[in-house]
Amino acid sequence: MPDEIGVIVALLVMMAVIGIARPRFLNPINLLSLLGNTTFLGMLALGMVFLLAIREIDLSVGWMFNFSAVVVALLMVAGLDPWLAAIAGVAFGGCLGLVNGLIAVTLRLPAIIVTLGTYSMFQGLSLVVNRGRAIVPSDDGSSFFWVISYKLFGVLPVSALVFLLLAVAMHILLHRTRFGYRVQAVGSNPEAAAHAGIPTALVRLQTLVLMGAICGLSGTMYVGFRGAIDPNEGSDFVLVVIAAVIIGGTPLSGGHGTIIGAVIGMTIIQVISSGLIFFGIDATWSTFFTGAVTVLAVSLDRLIKYQRSRRAEKLRETSHG
Amino acid sequence: MAKPLLSVRNLAKRYGGVVALENMNLSAQPGTIHAVVGENGAGKSTLMKILAGVVRPDGGTIEIDGQAVTIASPNEARLRGIGMVYQELSLFPDRSVLANLFVNREPVRHGLVSLSSMERQCERLLDQLGLHVDVRAPVSRLSIGERQLVELCRVLLEKPRLLILDEPNSALNQQETERLFAVLHGLRRQGITMLYVSHRLEEVFSISDRITITRNGRDVATKERAALTIPEVIEGMIGRQREALFPPPLPAKVDASPRELVVSGLAGGRLRQIDFKAHSGEVVGFAGLEGSGVTDILNILFGLRRARRGTARFPDGRGLPKSTTEASRRKVCLVPADRRHNGLMLDKSILFNISNIVVGARNDGPLWFSPKGALQRATRQIEALRIKGLPHALANSLSGGNQQKVVIGKWLEIGPQVFLLDDPTRGVDVGAKREIYGLIRKIAADGGIVLFSSTELPELIGLCDRILVIYQGRLAGEVAGDGMDSRAILHLLNTGERSGRSPGPDAYEATVA
Repeated sequence: MPDEIGVIVALLVMMAVIGIARPRFLNPINLLSLLGNTTFLGMLALGMVFLLAIREIDLSVGWMFNFSAVVVALLMVAGLDPWLAAIAGVAFGGCLGLVNGLIAVTLRLPAIIVTLGTYSMFQGLSLVVNRGRAIVPSDDGSSFFWVISYKLFGVLPVSALVFLLLAVAMHILLHRTRFGYRVQAVGSNPEAAAHAGIPTALVRLQTLVLMGAICGLSGTMYVGFRGAIDPNEGSDFVLVVIAAVIIGGTPLSGGHGTIIGAVIGMTIIQVISSGLIFFGIDATWSTFFTGAVTVLAVSLDRLIKYQRSRRAEKLRETSHG
Repeated sequence: MAKPLLSVRNLAKRYGGVVALENMNLSAQPGTIHAVVGENGAGKSTLMKILAGVVRPDGGTIEIDGQAVTIASPNEARLRGIGMVYQELSLFPDRSVLANLFVNREPVRHGLVSLSSMERQCERLLDQLGLHVDVRAPVSRLSIGERQLVELCRVLLEKPRLLILDEPNSALNQQETERLFAVLHGLRRQGITMLYVSHRLEEVFSISDRITITRNGRDVATKERAALTIPEVIEGMIGRQREALFPPPLPAKVDASPRELVVSGLAGGRLRQIDFKAHSGEVVGFAGLEGSGVTDILNILFGLRRARRGTARFPDGRGLPKSTTEASRRKVCLVPADRRHNGLMLDKSILFNISNIVVGARNDGPLWFSPKGALQRATRQIEALRIKGLPHALANSLSGGNQQKVVIGKWLEIGPQVFLLDDPTRGVDVGAKREIYGLIRKIAADGGIVLFSSTELPELIGLCDRILVIYQGRLAGEVAGDGMDSRAILHLLNTGERSGRSPGPDAYEATVA
């Protein structure tokens, strides 16, 4: 995985710099809590890698997350077994993704346009359902909340473990399966994919459903972990998620994607916001720094690509001349 | 003879390994219409692009009024009085006719763009061109022919001394072409010199004063029109090289059971009524001018386009595929004309591209994508087709010929029964062309049904067993064996009718006038 070396090095350098100045930062407890914080947004980033790889963007992820979490919490409040409610939550997220996918495919619209609309639709429906209040299911009598918030070896949250396992699964899905191959093929050149007989509409639909299901899973885990869902939770997710994926090295031009990069990218964002606290800088700066790192990452990416294409051009000239 | 307005000597230009111009010479007398003819790839378009300042030559000299000049940019060409009407339209479809005519040099009054002075300036010219349209309406509302005239008008507003027309009537119907020719005659009377690029010989003979024949980046001959006949020009354009380039048909494999593709009453797109049969073991050529509908035939058979009417029976006993996915799963393959946009994933490796069909289109086999299996496929095709590149090389880094081999190779992995080849040698160098011809012959001998379309006549004649000529969406005729003669086919291509007698230029002029 030579492609991810750059971001990994960047992350390590960043951690080293903060660690040397403020050694407490490198305390394992702190690092693990950092990983725990990346979980819910990180999961969304895994799905978003597939979308960028297929040359699409889903803007509605934050509200699919929120809506799914609200539905799960309400089902629990209504007395459904939390485990069944969790399964329903993932399925519900998948259905929201299906709505996005069916509109995008039947109308042949880019997902970014469709999800610009469904962003508000999902937000609005979620508000109607939760009536603008946080939903707090009671957690007695079920192993669900206990398991989700359990810490393995006393330190590693189960939710973080699920995130890492999901990352491994998504990595395999993207690079080692027919579906992943098709996603990359359609993203690389949709016209050529259609001319090769690749079912492009189906692949787009599947990708958007996958994104929805991941939002559902993330929302469900959030309810299990925090024990409540705030009506506004998720409102600011989408830009952070896209930023993490781009910092990780997935290009906006489609055809390629890196799950490892997305995990690292999300971690970098967390390191920034947590590092700021260690330096005593006001936490309100973290949004600015996240944006700055995103711009830096795309600039570096552009620079590397430019040099690569120049080298390829030279190579071609010498080999034909 | 008068001093030439333009004279070009020893012009050379290469693109990578492809030689576009080798040694091109041309001199145009003032106030004449000078035609430049040649097959695709002869170098006509490159020559014109150099004159228009779009492309820089590698060597040679250009003189205007006897003075050596360099034309470094389109702006410089404009300053030297050279105007070019492009083959592809370069208008802004959503902007008004006026905005297009005065793009970048809008007349200004009181610091604002003045529509009324625009209208005054172009009124007479539009009238001359016979273009009576609402000049404030967007260009997208005009017909293709009207747009071509807008393009011409835009160039004429710059008052060029040398007007270059690159296939200006490729999108025009008969009536519009007549009007264009009348305009060109009028311009000649005003003393404007014109270079007229085309491969439609009848039209060239009806409009031009002198003709330069080009082939393989050289000028073969320049003569007065009256001193030339169409067969002579064709002879000059084609040259004598066919035998070496085209492999002879191979004997068919014994065990290959005969199969056939039957198409009846097909309509859709530009097609009105197409019927034909193609058998395994033969290469069936399709010839047609731009817009005749040849591409539509291949696209409908591949499921890219819906048929309005008509049926087809494929070797598997079923009808037209409803989607490209269905087509590939039924072993029908298409090698598209636009390789870079429709054939390849340029930022992906050979390995990735070769797996397009096996992994991307088909649904049988494992759900897994195995890099090892993909590497085996890539290595197999690289060896079989002699692709010059490693499996992990990006498709973008390959030459045109090798790229095309990758496109063909990815299909060979599933052993297709029907091969739809849409101009597969476009932009491919001669060496790779010969290999691709050999490959097509082999595919036919192995029992494939091959439909082969091309814009190059010598290629069709050299490679195909028979040629179907499509004219304005219908089957104009079929030629085979000794009947595959350039002149007969050119006539069919241009008129849609078989030539009973030899159509002299005068006969054509009579039908136009």
